[in-house]
Amino acid sequence: MASPAGGTMNNKLKVLRAMRNWSQAELADRLDVSRQAVNAIETGKYDPSLPLAFKLARLFEMPIEDIFDDGHEGSDND
Amino acid sequence: MTDADISKPRRRMSPRQKRYWTSLGLAGVIGGIVGGWMVADQGNAPQSVATLFSGALTPGFAVGASAAWTIGLAICMIIYHRAIDDHEEHAWLWASTAGWYAFIFPAPVWWVLHRAGMAPPADAMILFVFSLVVNCIVYLWLKFR
Repeated sequence: MASPAGGTMNNKLKVLRAMRNWSQAELADRLDVSRQAVNAIETGKYDPSLPLAFKLARLFEMPIEDIFDDGHEGSDND
Repeated sequence: MTDADISKPRRRMSPRQKRYWTSLGLAGVIGGIVGGWMVADQGNAPQSVATLFSGALTPGFAVGASAAWTIGLAICMIIYHRAIDDHEEHAWLWASTAGWYAFIFPAPVWWVLHRAGMAPPADAMILFVFSLVVNCIVYLWLKFR
């Protein structure tokens, strides 16, 4: 189980959001989550669940692993 | 929410947000009614903070407030848990764990100290409020930090 303090993965959410000129609130609306959730994911304080990660991948039309990085190289073969 | 839905922003409150604020609003209304009723129920007693929290209550209020608390809380929690997002659920679960620890650590200690004549009888409401305060602090930290 993850620690209460938060996430352990890096992500490109802030960059991807900025490229589309979306505010955190706009992205939160599109994902149907709170703005605090978007902020917590962007700042690495919280790792999203798998369903939310898939929702992000569909929204940005990218594979999940292009948005999130768990710090392991070649993780496909791990 | 379908894939098509996430391609466009919505300006109105989503069904999830409506359920979320409904649950919180309903909890607030129930709390306000029970609190106001409790004050009114003790209308004839001398008014002080001490009597407000430890004064005698009528059986009618006790039964009504218990029912409102139990049924109202259950309804609010069902709506709330169907409405919260990932992040809030994470905050809720860890806050609940912290609140539970804030109960199971002091409760037996207080109980055995009382049995040994070293402390007054364990007060369930003090333990409840302490657990609730710890729960709230952890929830707010995880939700808004």
